[in-house]
Amino acid sequence: MNSNVTQPIERRADSSTESEEAAPTVLLVEDETITRTSMAARLRRLGHRVLEAENGLVALDVARRERPDLYIVDWMMPEMDGPTFCETVRRDPLLKSSQLLLMTAHDQPAQIAEGLARGADDFLSKSASKQEIVARVLAGLRTSRLVRELETTGNELESSLLLLQKKQAETEADLQSAAAFVRSLLPPQGSLVQGIALAWEYQPSLMLGGDLFGVMAIDADYLGLYILDASGHGVAAALRSASLMTFLRAENMLRLLGSYDPEKVLHEANRCFPLSAEGEYFTLWVGQLHMPTRCLSYASAGHSGALVSSAQSSSRWLTRSSSPLGFDPSAQFACERIDLQPGDRLFLLSDGIYEVPSPNGELWGRERFQDVIDRGKRTSLSATIAACFSQARSWQQTQYFQDDAAIVGLELTGDPKGSSNG
Amino acid sequence: MQINERIVPQGTILDVVGDLTYANRGAFKAAVEKAKNAGCRHLIVNLEKVRFVDSAGLGLLVLISQNLKLIQAQLSVLKPQLYVREIMSLANIPKMIPIYESEEAVLTARAA
Repeated sequence: MNSNVTQPIERRADSSTESEEAAPTVLLVEDETITRTSMAARLRRLGHRVLEAENGLVALDVARRERPDLYIVDWMMPEMDGPTFCETVRRDPLLKSSQLLLMTAHDQPAQIAEGLARGADDFLSKSASKQEIVARVLAGLRTSRLVRELETTGNELESSLLLLQKKQAETEADLQSAAAFVRSLLPPQGSLVQGIALAWEYQPSLMLGGDLFGVMAIDADYLGLYILDASGHGVAAALRSASLMTFLRAENMLRLLGSYDPEKVLHEANRCFPLSAEGEYFTLWVGQLHMPTRCLSYASAGHSGALVSSAQSSSRWLTRSSSPLGFDPSAQFACERIDLQPGDRLFLLSDGIYEVPSPNGELWGRERFQDVIDRGKRTSLSATIAACFSQARSWQQTQYFQDDAAIVGLELTGDPKGSSNG
Repeated sequence: MQINERIVPQGTILDVVGDLTYANRGAFKAAVEKAKNAGCRHLIVNLEKVRFVDSAGLGLLVLISQNLKLIQAQLSVLKPQLYVREIMSLANIPKMIPIYESEEAVLTARAA
């Protein structure tokens, strides 16, 4: 500690309470003792806390320790002159926003320009009047206070941002975990049962999707299948979908209804999942395939997404007008039947795969989707599904879908088990 | 999405321009609520300039229809484009919400 540094603190009689604002601190850097002492006394009379240093090097030590509100720095000093001190302060991460008042006996324009260029905020002539000194010191302190407030606000914003980023990372981790769970509920791809192959592709618009599907053995003869679409997007839709997915599990339907009859399943779902107060609802397509006879019975609650593709003819939609779940408590969901043949493919799909707009707003549409299905008869099931996604992406010219996009494909590859029954 | 409100002798017409989707549901709900609060007894949603209605938009129309019926008021839909009409038909919407081809038709039907 340099003995020439003094830290007199003048406390007013009424300044002992912690709540009262502390007097601003001014660091006076001046090698001439008389000038320094005189100026310090004048500043103290104005109510400021004054620190004194005899040159720039000493002043830097004081500044780093005390963080003064304002510096009054003489131009000409030994060891480190005023402009060099200003440059050093501006390079110091801790001190760079300090308010620097450069004091000089000469106030030539060139000198003022040099001082400003090297980091000073303002000038004070050694011959300045008392009024000018007071005015410049108060202006410097006012700027210093504003800079400090900005720094505090900036620090608070940075802290808030870090906190927000941390929370966001936690939320994303939770969502990823939930998405992995939902995905684990989807049926495994490949040979589902003897004579039936399953392939699917699923691209939720967000991390968690509201369009889900299931394919499951009900018993030795029946296969249950469904695809559901929750209105809306996001976590809320995904949670509602997971709830309906649980409801549609084979064991639950067998317990409640004694079968996976599509008409009964939809009737029960319509009863249990009414239109929400926010207008949220599901569309649902349910099918039941009798494997020995390849007879598919199906019914729909407002869901448009089932298509049969056969080797011998053009594909056709298994769709009719019907109320989505919850729209009408008395709605009936008529069951229809179709006999499938070996080689036939059944596709369940969400509307998000074909309701994709081109950059000019034109939708890809069901017809173009159907065309890809028809042209894919000679390619593998998974390749046909991949082609649908590829062409939908190409149409919208982006990889990501605005809505959940899902295609589930079943292919009757040969004689099903127990075909002798049929 | 833009929504312009017009008062006609037998109700309020909301002229909607843009897509009626999940993303725009807030603006649509606000416009409907404003008309309801003004005492509208027949709300007519003009979909002539709506190219696309998604599942959330459909749900909103049904919910609004149900809520208006509770206060003895009515929702009608005017001039949906072909694709929107198909979507609405698939979900049986015409059985719940009357669909009209002209303002005259909707006003005449209401008067009758």
